[in-house]
Amino acid sequence: MFNRENKIEKFKDAETIIGASIKVKGNFHGQGNIVIEGSLEGSLKTDANIFIGEKAKVVANVEAQDLMVNGEIKGNVKVKNYLSLGSTAKISGDIAYSEMSMEKGATINGQLFAISETEKKSIKNSVKEDLEK
Amino acid sequence: MHVYIYDDYLNKTRYNKAINRMEIRLTDLGLNGKIIRLSGIKNIKSAIQNEMRLGAKTIVAVGNNQTVNRIMGAIIEADIYSDFQKNTLLGIIPIGNDNSIATSFGIKNEEDACNILLARRIERIDLGLIGDYYFLNEVEVESRGTVINLKDYSLEIKDKGFIKIINLINDKNNPINSNPHDGKLDVYVVTKKNTQSLMRLDKFEVVSEHPIIVDGVIEVKSPVTISVAKNKLNVIVGKNRCFQ
Repeated sequence: MFNRENKIEKFKDAETIIGASIKVKGNFHGQGNIVIEGSLEGSLKTDANIFIGEKAKVVANVEAQDLMVNGEIKGNVKVKNYLSLGSTAKISGDIAYSEMSMEKGATINGQLFAISETEKKSIKNSVKEDLEK
Repeated sequence: MHVYIYDDYLNKTRYNKAINRMEIRLTDLGLNGKIIRLSGIKNIKSAIQNEMRLGAKTIVAVGNNQTVNRIMGAIIEADIYSDFQKNTLLGIIPIGNDNSIATSFGIKNEEDACNILLARRIERIDLGLIGDYYFLNEVEVESRGTVINLKDYSLEIKDKGFIKIINLINDKNNPINSNPHDGKLDVYVVTKKNTQSLMRLDKFEVVSEHPIIVDGVIEVKSPVTISVAKNKLNVIVGKNRCFQ
């Protein structure tokens, strides 16, 4: 989903783009790719991928398949596949991941957990259940 | 049988030439039908319902966006519409200004519209529903201070700009590839700080202190619920329509 320049390759394919002028409050659960450039308070889940832009502020627990972070997250993060932290990423919370890359300058204030295959499935199921509700 | 419904404003002499061209073309193509002029009718719904009872298969709105919206509302709110849903079609012959709906359907002018009626290319499309009012194209509202409420979350827009809630685009160059078959409305926000947002939603409430304008002609009061009526209307479209 992400290219080397930390941008979404298929930006046009994003189901949801939350621009810098938008503030989201509540439980934001989507099905497609999500781009967050604005602010969000609550929870953020998708069964696809999430891109958090440089100026974005997310105060929420975040769950996704792939997650690219360049902004700030205050909350726990669960990523089924690949987590990429850009140089401006700041995460305050625990992180569960399968694979991860981190650029110089990124900061994490929390614990890191590598997730097992069983946990991967449970993440996928919990997202599906939320979407079906 | 075709029923042609002419809007009031077409009585003005400046539209005579266009009306004549259209009527000649319809005659040439063998598409003549009954003509109803809205200026002489108080209750458009009952008039259209009567025509549907009498077997009208195609109702053609002759006029602009406002004409189409009035006639479309009358067709789908008619009690008998559900019985005849598969048969009753809406056609459009655009005359004058404010014809973005015809543009969406790939109809350029009145003569082109006649050819499209003859070709009879039919699409069954979603409609937007704002309050009790159906719309084809889009709803627009100033973005600053407007809040969109959904079941589980809300969206608040901080900066000046506009919000477009799109069912059907009227410009092929529009970056939003809106599709009136997907059961969703595209909520597109562009601010003066040049930030863009896009969400695909099916039901939500809009709260705003600014006017909420439907298809460029009608103002609706806030707060209002907006949703999608899926596969609600059969329309005759041109091959150059703005959607697939």
